[in-house]
Amino acid sequence: MTRSATSKLNDMLPAILFGVAVLVVWEAVVRAFHIAPLLLPPPSAIAARFVHSIPTLAGDFWETLVKAVLPGWALGSLAGLLVALLCDRIPFLRRGLLPLGNFMSVLPLVGIAPIMVMWFGTGVAPNIAVIIIMTFFPMLVNATAGLQASGHLDRDLMRSYGASWGQALIKLRLPAAMPFIFNALKINSTLAMIGAIVAEFFGTRIVGMGFRIQTGSGAQALDLVWSEITVAAVTGSLFYALLVLTERHVTFWHPSYRT
Amino acid sequence: MKKLLMTAAAAGALMLGAGGASAEAVKLQLKWVTQAQFAGYYVAQEKGYYKAAGLDVTIMPGGPDINPEQVLAGGGADVIVDWMPSALASREKGSPVVNIAQPFKHSGLMLTCRKETGIASPADFKNKTLGVWFFGNEYPFMAWMAKLGLKTDGSDGGVKVLKQNFNVDPLLQKQADCISTMTYNEYHQILEAGVKADDLVTFKYEDQGVATLEDGLYVLQDKLKDPKFVDTMAKFVKASMKGWNDMATDPKAAVAAVLKNDASGSQTEAHQTTMVDEVSKLVDGSDGTLDPTAAERTVTTLLSAGGEAPVITKKPDGAWTDVVTKAAMAMK
Repeated sequence: MTRSATSKLNDMLPAILFGVAVLVVWEAVVRAFHIAPLLLPPPSAIAARFVHSIPTLAGDFWETLVKAVLPGWALGSLAGLLVALLCDRIPFLRRGLLPLGNFMSVLPLVGIAPIMVMWFGTGVAPNIAVIIIMTFFPMLVNATAGLQASGHLDRDLMRSYGASWGQALIKLRLPAAMPFIFNALKINSTLAMIGAIVAEFFGTRIVGMGFRIQTGSGAQALDLVWSEITVAAVTGSLFYALLVLTERHVTFWHPSYRT
Repeated sequence: MKKLLMTAAAAGALMLGAGGASAEAVKLQLKWVTQAQFAGYYVAQEKGYYKAAGLDVTIMPGGPDINPEQVLAGGGADVIVDWMPSALASREKGSPVVNIAQPFKHSGLMLTCRKETGIASPADFKNKTLGVWFFGNEYPFMAWMAKLGLKTDGSDGGVKVLKQNFNVDPLLQKQADCISTMTYNEYHQILEAGVKADDLVTFKYEDQGVATLEDGLYVLQDKLKDPKFVDTMAKFVKASMKGWNDMATDPKAAVAAVLKNDASGSQTEAHQTTMVDEVSKLVDGSDGTLDPTAAERTVTTLLSAGGEAPVITKKPDGAWTDVVTKAAMAMK
């Protein structure tokens, strides 16, 4: 084992121990106080159910994550970035759209889910629509701020070199905006998960993590509900971690990564 | 001295007894929001039948996010109104609830289709889109489809199942060919939305032989060991059935009792009047006694349902008892 691997393990050890302790206490409390499984199933029952229901969980993962979260997140973020570039090019648009974007990005947009179901019907489309709307504004606001982030001196230098808008964008302003854009991507990864699951609460499909969480609690299959929550938590964390890793490679120059 | 102590103890017991009799608190958790589906309990409350029986009853409305069995298991209620499939599910999940009375003799669950879809009999369901309520209400449907030999996983030659939220929009917006309705509620919502009864085809679960028992009263099994609790429940059932009886004879007062207790203010007099009418047909003069054959039929139906999370996997034992209704009958 290399030295850095050992030290990494040392860093993670407290978190792992803490996590295990939580599970042990949970199991002990449920057993000791005879808590009804209807209210809180013990981790052992959840684990057993998880293994038993892997085909169902995998199917729900596919329907929610692959078919809704990823396309919704990508389309919403891309659209936000493109409109931010447009705003950058047309100052009038920026003055008109940005205050609106700021306002919209703090709204609990997930509330539009029932309306999207009415508009887009019974397939996966309303779920993707909810995610696009939820992820669009954070990217618009962040990317717009990011495009203003390069220093005046740098921009002046570009101008004296005779760089066009496009050249300055590619060589200077877009790289400078990357920390902001990645911030939006990370925020959006969480929002997309929430959006997908909540949209399924209102939707009509009978597959997916949100459907299972919602109807499972009504059908008193709480062990299945917790299994889905586990999948959602692990996937959400991995998604986020992947973005952090990519960010480090793309913005290696950023002062926050200097050791 | 000994005599004095005994007298004091007796007086104390008397006082305790008197205190208990003045008001035995009973918390009732309903399955759904305040509406005429529960009119009997509201009538009993408004006409003072509970009070006369020495009970202090609190009626707690439910809703889509409230699972009565969870409220019962958590100690938030003494007795709940729920459908038998849901109750049997919690029994198997380790929360033993027992049916103590069955005010609804008949099932009000139906599948209502638009006639233009060409559906005339259950044989025509093949490749059609059907709206189904989940949250534990899907089991009778699954059993029915299993009986018809129709797959519900979306494969060709089966049926396409739509999760129907608690409204009739999928039928009105033509997203579904058929949707789940109750005789006393959603069916009339469709009519109120302007669809003519002639343009609808309706299948009652009861007529299809896949009905499960609906609104019954359930308590935790352990509590029935206490004779005092059984006595309280007997009083409660007796007073409730008197309320249900009154609803049939005086529907107007029943509608008024429901509307008075509707904190949301969303129920209309016209809709509740229709509901009282339809619910009366389901109660059908019941005295609260459960018909064991109907309970057995519920179990058979559920056992044939199958699916990813089957509601029950084995025959339940002791899921209903007549100890409370017998005690209620014996009361004057």
